[in-house]
Amino acid sequence: MSTARKLAEPVLGQVDADGLLMSADPLLMRLHLRCGGKEGGPLAVPELAALCRLSRRLGMNLSRPVQASDDECRIEMWVETRLASPEKNMPLILAIIDWKEYSHDEGNKVDPARDRDFDRLEGRGAIRTDAALRIIAQQMPGNVARNFEAIGQSLLDIYDVIPPSAHAKLLEAVAERQPIRNQRVRQKSGAQALFLLQGQPLIDKTGLFAGYRFIATPDDLTDDPATGGADPKVTSGKLISDSLFGMQLGPALRQPLGKIIANAETISGKLEGPLRGDYASYAKDIASAGRHLLDLVNDLSDLEAIERPEFTVAGDDIDLVDLAHRAAGLLAVKAADHQIRLELPDKQQKNPARGEFRRSLQILVNLIGNAIRYSPDGSVIKLAVSADQGFARISVSDQGDGIATEDQERIFEKFERLGRSGDGGSGLGLFISRRLARAMGGSLAVESAAGEGSTFTLSLPERGKP
Amino acid sequence: MDRTKQNDIIRHARAMADRASFVADDFARALFPRTAVVFNDRMRSNAQQYLHGMVNKIEQRLCEIATRDLGVGHDMLRSIGQGGDGQSFALLESSGLLNQTEIVQHLFVKTQQMELAARLLQKISQEDLESTLTRHLDHEDPPVAQAAMGLLVAQSKSVGSAGEVAVSLADLPPEIVYAITWPVTAALARLSTSPGSRLQQAAERLLVEHDESAGLARKAERLAQLLEQGETEKNPVPHPMKDGLSLFVARLARQSGLSSDQIVTFTAEPNMARFIVVLRATDYPVQDALSIYAALDSGDNILTAASYGELDRDRSVDLVTRWAAPEAYQNAERILSRDYLNEAGK
Repeated sequence: MSTARKLAEPVLGQVDADGLLMSADPLLMRLHLRCGGKEGGPLAVPELAALCRLSRRLGMNLSRPVQASDDECRIEMWVETRLASPEKNMPLILAIIDWKEYSHDEGNKVDPARDRDFDRLEGRGAIRTDAALRIIAQQMPGNVARNFEAIGQSLLDIYDVIPPSAHAKLLEAVAERQPIRNQRVRQKSGAQALFLLQGQPLIDKTGLFAGYRFIATPDDLTDDPATGGADPKVTSGKLISDSLFGMQLGPALRQPLGKIIANAETISGKLEGPLRGDYASYAKDIASAGRHLLDLVNDLSDLEAIERPEFTVAGDDIDLVDLAHRAAGLLAVKAADHQIRLELPDKQQKNPARGEFRRSLQILVNLIGNAIRYSPDGSVIKLAVSADQGFARISVSDQGDGIATEDQERIFEKFERLGRSGDGGSGLGLFISRRLARAMGGSLAVESAAGEGSTFTLSLPERGKP
Repeated sequence: MDRTKQNDIIRHARAMADRASFVADDFARALFPRTAVVFNDRMRSNAQQYLHGMVNKIEQRLCEIATRDLGVGHDMLRSIGQGGDGQSFALLESSGLLNQTEIVQHLFVKTQQMELAARLLQKISQEDLESTLTRHLDHEDPPVAQAAMGLLVAQSKSVGSAGEVAVSLADLPPEIVYAITWPVTAALARLSTSPGSRLQQAAERLLVEHDESAGLARKAERLAQLLEQGETEKNPVPHPMKDGLSLFVARLARQSGLSSDQIVTFTAEPNMARFIVVLRATDYPVQDALSIYAALDSGDNILTAASYGELDRDRSVDLVTRWAAPEAYQNAERILSRDYLNEAGK
C-alpha cells in the first residue's frame, strides 16, 4: 500500500555547513530520527545528506528526485536545496515538495508465518516436500512427535492415496509439476486420519522444480468403504465431533459456503471485469453474510465437539506472548479497518504456559475479535501478560462501552448476545472460549464496568521457565 | 608577403609544432575506436556549436554580473555582458580545459538528443509534438497539471529557431555549469587582466543563482515521477510521439531505474540493443516496443515482434539492474574482470 502525502506546503529543514540538521519540519524530523539521527545531529538520511553535500560543493541550488527508506517504508521525494548566499558557512535550506511513502510489505508479499497461523487456527496442516516427494517439513494437527518422525520419509510411505484418485494419478500430476487439488489421503499409522490435500508446486530461484507445499484439511466425510464409516478411533484426535453436525452437516455446509464467499468476493472485487457499483455492493453483502454463516457453522461444530464427554485437548508448550503476537497478526487487517491500535507485550518477554496451541490461539482471536467489534474506531486494545499462583495470564482490555456487573456472567452463556444483533456474532464465542480454557485447566474471566471498557483474562497453567 | 600574414603563419607553425605529438593520438582514435557508436559529421558539428554556445552563455552571464552588479569597469567584459562576442572559447579550447569527461559526456548526450529529435520530426510535426504535453494540463491531479505546465514552458524556452543549436543556461545541469564557469572565469581574468577576486565573486553569484528546478530535464523528470506514481491505467505506456522526447525518456528512465542520460546513450548504440533490452525489462508490450523503436530509429534497422518476443525478460531485468549500478562500481567491475588482471595476479 502506498501513501501519497499531498504537501500543501513543502517540508523544510535547515542544514548547516557541517551537515548538522539544525531544524526540520515534523515529517523530515521523523525520517531523520528513524534513520538513526539525533536532534541537532548530522543529517542521518544518506540520500539527503549527499544532496546537501553536492549542493554545497558546487555552490548551487539543486532540484532532484530522492529515494530514502526507513524501517517501515520507502519514501519517494522531490527535493530542492536552497543556498541563501554564496557564503560557504551559511545554512542550506532543504525543501521537500513531494512525499510519497511505499510500505515495505506492499505488493503480493504474504507472510508465510501468518498463513501458517491461519492454517493452524482452522485445524489445517501443512506438508512441505522436496522434488522426490520426501517430506522435509510437516505440521499436522494432533501428534507433534509424529510430525517429526515423518521428516525424510516419502509422502507415499506416510499416507495412503484414497480412491477415486490413486498413486499413479498423483505421481502423474507431480511429474507434470501440476497443482494437486482435493487429493484424499489417509495416515498409514496412528489415528489413520483422513485429509484432503491441496498442493502447489514450488519453483526455486534458479527456476527448477523444488517440491510441493501441501495444505492438509481434515476430511470429515469418512465414507470410506475401507473403514466402514465412522470409527471412534479415527476421530478421537480430530477437531470436529463425529455426531450429526460435526460429522455431516458442518462439512457439507462449509464447502458450498466457501464457494459462495469466494465467488461473492470475486464479484465485489470486480476481479473479472467492471460491474455496476450497486451490484458490487450486493456481492459484498453476500460475502459478508456467507462469512457470518461460516463462523456460525464453525462455532456449532466446536460447540458439539466440546460438549462431548471424551473431548480432550493437547498439552502443548506454549508462550502467551508469542500467541498474543500471532493472534494480533491474524486480526491486524480488521483492526486497521477500524483504525484500532493493538498494544502488545514486548516480544522479548516470555510467559510460558501449558495448553493446546490451536485452542489457545482460538480463544485469543475470539477475545481480540470481540474487542475490535465492540470498541470505538480509533481506540486502543491492550494485551498484557502476567503470572501468579501457578497460572500464566493474558488479558485483553478494550475501551468499549463495558459490561454491567449483572451481565458479566451471562455473556459466557450459550447464544447470549445481551440483546445485540446484526454485528456478525453468534453468541457462542465466549461460551466456547471459557469451555476450552477450562478444558486446558485454566479459566476465562471478565472485569468491567459500564462505560469503562472491559478486560478479559485468560489463565492457563504455568509452565516452568526454561 | 606582408608582415601580418607572416606573423600569422609563424604563430600557426608554432602552434602546430606544439601539438604535433598528438596527431598520432587523434588518428589512432579515429582508426581504432573503442566503442561501436558512430559519430557522423552532423553530430560533430552540433557538438561543436553546442559547446561554443554553452561557453558563450556562461561567459556572457558572468560578464553581466561582474560589470552590472559588481561594478567591474572593463570594456571587453562590458561588451561581452551586453551580448558581444565571447573571447574565452578559443583559449579554453586550445588549453584542453573543455576536454573533461563530464562535459564531453554531456555534449554527447545532448547531441544524440538532437539526433533523436530530428528523427522524430520526420514522423510527426513540431506542432503535434509540442501539443503532446497539453493533454496533461487538464489532469485531475493539480501537481501533475502544474508539472506539465512547467515542462511546457521550459520546452518552449529551449527550442531554437530552425537550424540553430539552441543553448539555454537554465537547462544546463549544475555539474556542467560548475565545470565550465570556473575555467571561463580564469580565462576572462587572464584576457582582461581584471582582478580575479571580483570575477570569482561574479562566478559564485552565477552559480548560486542557477536554478536546476527550472531546467527542461528536471521538469520532465518531475512530471514523469508524478505520472508514474499515479494510477497506471490512466497513464498508458510512454511513447515518444505521445509524450514528446524529454518526457518519454524521463518516464522510461524512472521505470527502469536508469538515468535519462543512459537511455539516450543507449539509443546511439548500434541496433539500439541496450535500449531494446530496457524496453523488455520494463515489460513494454510488443506492439508498443516496435512502435517506439520505429519512431526513434534512423530507418536502417527493423525490430521484429519475434526477436523482441524472444528476449528473456528475467535476463533483461538482470542486465538493466547491472547497468543501474553506480558507474564507479561498473567500471571497477569491468576492470577487475579483465583477463590480464588474472594473469597479473598469478
